[in-house]
Parts: sequence; structure tokens; C-alpha cells
Amino acid sequence: MVSEAAGIRAIRGDPGANGIPEAWIDIRGLGKHFAGEVALHDVNMGVARGEVHGLVGANGAGKSTLIRCLAGVTVPDEGKILVAGDELRLGSPQASEKAGLAFIHQELNLVPHFSALENMLLGAPKATRLGLIDWKRSSRPARAAAERVGIKFPLDARVSDLSVGERWLVMISKALVREASLIAMDEPTAALSGPESEQLFSIIRDLAASGVAILYVSHRLDEVLDLCDRITVFRDGEVVDRAARGGLDKRGLIRAIVGHDVKGAEGRRRIEADKSGVPLFSARDVARGAAVKGVSFDLYRGEILALGGLVGSGRTEVARLAFGVDRLQRGHFEMSGKRLTIGSETQAIELGIALVPEERRSQGLMLAQSVAFNINIASLHSLRVVDILPFLSSRKMRNQAGRLIKDLGVKTPSPSTKIASLSGGNQQKALIARWLRPDTKILILDEPSRGVDIGAREEIHNAIRKLARSGVGVIVISSEAEELAVLADRIVVMREGHVVGELTGDDITEARIVEMSYHDAVGS
Amino acid sequence: MQAAKARTPDLDSGRRRRAALTFISRYGTIIGLLAMIVFFAINAPGTFLSRANFLNILSQASLTAIISAGLTFTLVVGEFDLSIGNVASFIGLVVAGLMAKEHLPIPLAVALALLVGIIIGLVNGFLVTKVRINAVIATIGVGTMLTGIGFSYAAFPIAIGIPRAFTEISLGRALFGVPNPVFIMAALLIVMWTILNKTDLGQRMQAVGSNIEAARLSGIRVDRTKMFAFATAGFCAALTGVLLTSLLGSGTLAAADGYLLDAFAAVFLGSATLREGQFHIAGTLIGVLILAVGFNGLSIFGAPTYFQPIFKGGVLVLAVGLSSLARRYASAS
Repeated sequence: MVSEAAGIRAIRGDPGANGIPEAWIDIRGLGKHFAGEVALHDVNMGVARGEVHGLVGANGAGKSTLIRCLAGVTVPDEGKILVAGDELRLGSPQASEKAGLAFIHQELNLVPHFSALENMLLGAPKATRLGLIDWKRSSRPARAAAERVGIKFPLDARVSDLSVGERWLVMISKALVREASLIAMDEPTAALSGPESEQLFSIIRDLAASGVAILYVSHRLDEVLDLCDRITVFRDGEVVDRAARGGLDKRGLIRAIVGHDVKGAEGRRRIEADKSGVPLFSARDVARGAAVKGVSFDLYRGEILALGGLVGSGRTEVARLAFGVDRLQRGHFEMSGKRLTIGSETQAIELGIALVPEERRSQGLMLAQSVAFNINIASLHSLRVVDILPFLSSRKMRNQAGRLIKDLGVKTPSPSTKIASLSGGNQQKALIARWLRPDTKILILDEPSRGVDIGAREEIHNAIRKLARSGVGVIVISSEAEELAVLADRIVVMREGHVVGELTGDDITEARIVEMSYHDAVGS
Repeated sequence: MQAAKARTPDLDSGRRRRAALTFISRYGTIIGLLAMIVFFAINAPGTFLSRANFLNILSQASLTAIISAGLTFTLVVGEFDLSIGNVASFIGLVVAGLMAKEHLPIPLAVALALLVGIIIGLVNGFLVTKVRINAVIATIGVGTMLTGIGFSYAAFPIAIGIPRAFTEISLGRALFGVPNPVFIMAALLIVMWTILNKTDLGQRMQAVGSNIEAARLSGIRVDRTKMFAFATAGFCAALTGVLLTSLLGSGTLAAADGYLLDAFAAVFLGSATLREGQFHIAGTLIGVLILAVGFNGLSIFGAPTYFQPIFKGGVLVLAVGLSSLARRYASAS
């Protein structure tokens, strides 16, 4: 392997074809199989210096495997990768780093109790004096990098004290300290607020202008279309489409990702709930700390009510109050006009309130357990052989899991498959299935389609609609205005712990939601 | 096309390797147990392969199996109990004292002793769930205190005044000449297996151990579930203590302390059996049998005494290693 990498010098990628600029990173015929399943098949693509290159595709389409091959974490079965004409030694993270490839994953691999500066220099060669690290000299490149990405906070701040957006800046600086010529970013804006995302975009444009290549992996198609010079679309491990800027619109991109048309927000029929009766669920001036400062809303039977607003506007906190995770400091909730005291999650569930939490892996999934286990865990009492004895009926457990798997279209080899092996979208469907029990009156979904591919997202939306039409009151929380516009019957927009307005019927548009999230348009 | 052809053998060998790994991570311990039995049977057919010796192995294994089953429950909910050895020793003294010093009838003494075991378990559970002390620290602390309390109660073995009928609990053979502890173990393991696999309580315990936050958000009363596991561990340790005192005919300070390491080795061996990296009752039983057969073989072959701790420590390290490998392998696949 070593001699191969050192010895073979391949011919540079053919530039002229299709007017594609000369590739700095040239991927040729890359293939990878996992246990007989195709993860990548004959992938050919190039990334030029100074280019922002978007990678899109459903979960499991092959984007992550490609990135892992580039990073040297996964060894491809076939094909090769050339960096500036030299063949990259595959399966070696060190070789990838040396070749100037840097990777920023969603989880941001930073040491929380180290300072920003120490994190930037982590593993980088340091200047020494008498065998000791000369921090002043060593930190020069880091300070330069920090300036380049516009870091305003002090570099000796602990990473654990920084916001997610600031941590991204640290990660990018870290890549620049290593003089990376390509930075791959995985779902960069998933946890960033609007202004933070804007700042990131401008940094990405600056980096590209200075010759750094950016591989931009995202499910947020508007961003990709806006930001990327070229886009490569993956489906089932293969490249199915590529386009230069302006070559594809959103609809075309979605079609390429899914393989068929997806119905847009236009044809969407909103249900006007019957508001003459008593609301199913109400918040009356609920408050807790600085996050929720007096929030009121009504939810009617059969309605999908969305809580819109930016990350940090207090929506998740309202959900936690309604589900009994945190205690109210002021105000109360009502169900069918009756005042509730919700002292714990268990009590909330007994009242018929259910929550599908924001963080799928850490708050929802029991990864070591089967799909059936994960679905049945919240309704064990109804699965007993006899109601008064604690013994569970295997038949009832099998039947319930099987029925819900079918109802929600969870794609799994069998109910006894470990849930860890399913894709994110199917895991999310299983978590929704967990709450489809007869006693659920109110279902709260926090970011139901985060990190889920576009096909699964459509299926999740359909499941939510079906549930609402069956009489359950649904509250959806999402940071994506686009998702709310498609899904909600009515939207309550929050900003800084207050409700700032409500949108109904034809007023529900992405533009109105975004506008209201940022400015106090209606006033509370 | 040539590339595709060249890939096939490579892919096949990879798949075969995976299949082999899966097989080893599930059945490795069982194969090890069988191999050990075959080895001893061939090399010491007269002594090892006798009914008397098998009953001896089973009877030794039963006390370890009982205490290990309790430990299994605490590990299922994601906690530890390092006090079980001390609890068993302490309860061994208590039950002896209740009969010899307080002159209580046997059933009452046994019932009280087991109750004290449950209470100690609940104290452990309270410290871990409500006071939020790390389980390792809390249970070492409680265990150490028990050693001191036991010492203050009976610095010398309590042997005089223990009724003969009490020693019959462990020494008697109720059916087919099989020692009683074997039946007690079998009954307990069946009950505990049923709780873990066939009741909502058991499912909730597994959920808590898999992801405590997700369990809480699924409406599971996490603290109560953990308290139950600790109480069970206390009960099982107490039962082992009672049976040991009955077997020895005396309550002796620190007599059962050594069961702690045996139990850990057995439970971790068990977690590398059949289910990748998960703790379960059937696996624990396999682990206990591996230890019992191993010790038995060592003594048959006249291995020097110092070899016993080497074997025990080695098995413990091997078991935890296997278990963590199995879990890593399971999460990678």
C-alpha cells in the first residue's frame, strides 16, 4: 500500500470535457459494499479548488460513505482518489489529513473543556523552545485563521461556553490551521440559527474565493441551490445527476433525489378546525425562566398546530412544560377546559399527552433494542395477557408492532431487527409509532424530520396528517419554515419566549413565517 | 467486469469473517464451556465424569448463580452493585445471630435476614437514584460499612447454637439426591428470567438500561425501576449469605466477600453470550457454570492454591473484554 501511494503517479484528470474545471480532488470508479449491500457504485466526480460543491441525496444514498472514504475512515472496495494528481492512500486518516482534506461532522469533534485556541491546535505541529511548547509562536497560525473566519470571542474561551455557531467557527479555523485545501461539511446549518447560518455562508464564500474547495452536504435544498457552484446528486449509492449553478431548480433537485415528483406546498388543503367548541388543549400564560415568558394558545381537535420561530425562541421549552419534563412557574395548561397539573412525564402520558423529542438518538431511541421493543415500550400495559397480572403477551406485542410498522411504512427486515440498523427516517417513524396508542389525545412532535431524507419526510408528514384527521390534536415544532408551511393548519410563531403572532389559511407561507420569526410583525 | 470478478473472493472472505465473528460473539462462551468439559472428561474421566462430581459442581455453582442473578438486574438497568459480597457475608452473620443469639425460629430468622437484604438493596438504590451518588462509590461505601457493622456484631464465627435443621437447607437433598441449593437456584432463575423477559417491569428495566433519557420520556418511572433492581440484588445476595451459613454451619465474618468477583466475571461472561453485549439471566448462568467447571477442574488436577485467583482474575478480565468487544461489534454492524 505504502509503495503504491508513493510510487504511482497518475495522469491528471481530463479537464476539457463538459467544461468542468480541472479537478483538484478526482474520484474515480469508487465502490463500496457493506455485507453485500451496495453503498457506493462506480462513483466518478471531481472537485475543483475554490469551488463550493454540494452533495445531496436521501439518507443512505451514499454521501456519508463517500465522505468517509475521503476521510480514510472507510476503505473502498474499488476505485481510487487523486488529490492534485497524486493517488491518495486509502483507508488512512493520516494520509487524508496530510493531503489537505478536512472534515467537519455534525457532532463537531471538539474537546469541550479545552479553550478554542487549544482545540484549533489539537494535533497540529507546535513550535517548541527547549522541548516545551512555545504557545505564543504556535498560536500565530490559529490567530490568523480566527481572524480570517471573523471570530470575535476571545480564543481562550472554553469550547463548552461557546454556542454551536461559534463552535463551527472553531472547527473551520482548525481546518485552516492545517492548511486544508478541501473542507467537507456535514449538515452545517442543522443546529444553527438564521443569522449564524448567514455568517457561515459568507465564510464559505470567502474560503472558496481564496481557493479552498468546499464539499457541502445538506438536506436543506434552498441553501444548497443558493450556495453551491456545482451539485452532485446521489441515489442508492450512485451519482444520478450533476448540475452546475442554475442547472437545476428545487423541483428538479427533489425529483433527482427521490426519483419521482413530490407534491409541493401548493396543492395542500388546510383543515379549518371547528373553533366553536371547547379547545382540546390550551396553554394559559405559561412561563418558566427566561425561555418561556407567558405563552398562550389553543389546540383544537383534529388540527395540526405548529409552533414556529427560531432555535431558542422557546418552542422546545413549551413542549417540555406540557410534557411534564420541567415545572411551570406561572400559568397552566387546560384539556377540554379542565385545568391540568402535570407533575411528571408519567402523569402527562396518563393524561394522554405524548412527545416525540427533538434529539432522536439521545432522547428517543433505545439503540440496543429491537424495532418492536422501541415501538411497544410506551404501551406495555395494554399488551398484558390479563389486565391485572404483569405478564406480557408475546402475541399482542408482535401484533401491535407489526400493525404499526405497516401503518407507518417503517422499512425494516423484521420487527426483531435492532433499531440501530435502520435509517434515520425509519427510526423516526418507529418513534412516532410508539405514541400511536388509543389513549393519545395530544401528540407533540419536536423537529419531526430533522436529518431525515426527503422521501421519508413526506411519509412522516402523511402519517402526522392521518393522525390529526383521526381526532388527535397535533403540535409540531420545526425550525424549517418550509416544513411548517407544508404541514400546519395553523401556526403560532414564537420569538424570545413570547407568542408574536398567528397565521392561518392562505397566510401560511414560508415568507410570512420567516418574517414573523425575525420581526415583531403582529405584536402580542 | 474484471474488477467485479476480482472483488468477489475478497467480498466472500469478508462475509465469512463477519459470520465467524458473529458466531464467536454469540456462542464463544458456550463453546468454551463445552471444550472445558470435554477436556476434563478426557483427561480425568474417573474423577471429573462422575455423578457425584457433577452434583458437586452444580451445588457450588448455585450459590454463585443466585448472587450473580441479582447483579445481572442492576447491570441491566445500567448500574453497578459492588456491595453484594459484603451483603452476603453480613446476612450470613445476621441469620446465624438471629438463631444462635436471639433464639428465633428458623423460618422467622431466614425471613428477617432476607428482608434486611432487601432493605440494604433499597438503601443502595436510594443513594444512587435520589441522592445521585455514583453507584460504584455508593455501593462500596455501603458494603464497607456493613463489614464494620458485622465485625461489631460478631468478631468470631457464630457456630454454637445453630440448629441442625438449618444446615439441612443447604446440605439436604430433597429429590433425586440433588442438593437443595440447586433447586432453589433453578426456581429463582426461572422467576427472574420471567420477570426480565415476560413482564412490563422487565421491559422497563431493559429500556432504562438502553437509554435512560428515552425511557423517562416514554413515561417510565426510572428511579423506581432502578430501586427494584437494587432491591433484587440485595435479596439475592442475602439468599446466598443464608445458604452459605447453612452450608458452613456457622456465620463467619467476610465469608462471602469473594462472591463479588465471581459474580462480576460470570455476569460479564454471560453478556458475551447469545445476545451481543446485553446482560441476561441465561447468559449469567452459562458464566457461572464456566467458573464452576473451571475451578472444579483446577482442583481435580491439583493446581496449586495460588492458581485460583490467577484463574479468577484472568476470567474476569477476559469476560469484560469479550463483553465490550461483543457490544462494539454489535453497534458496528
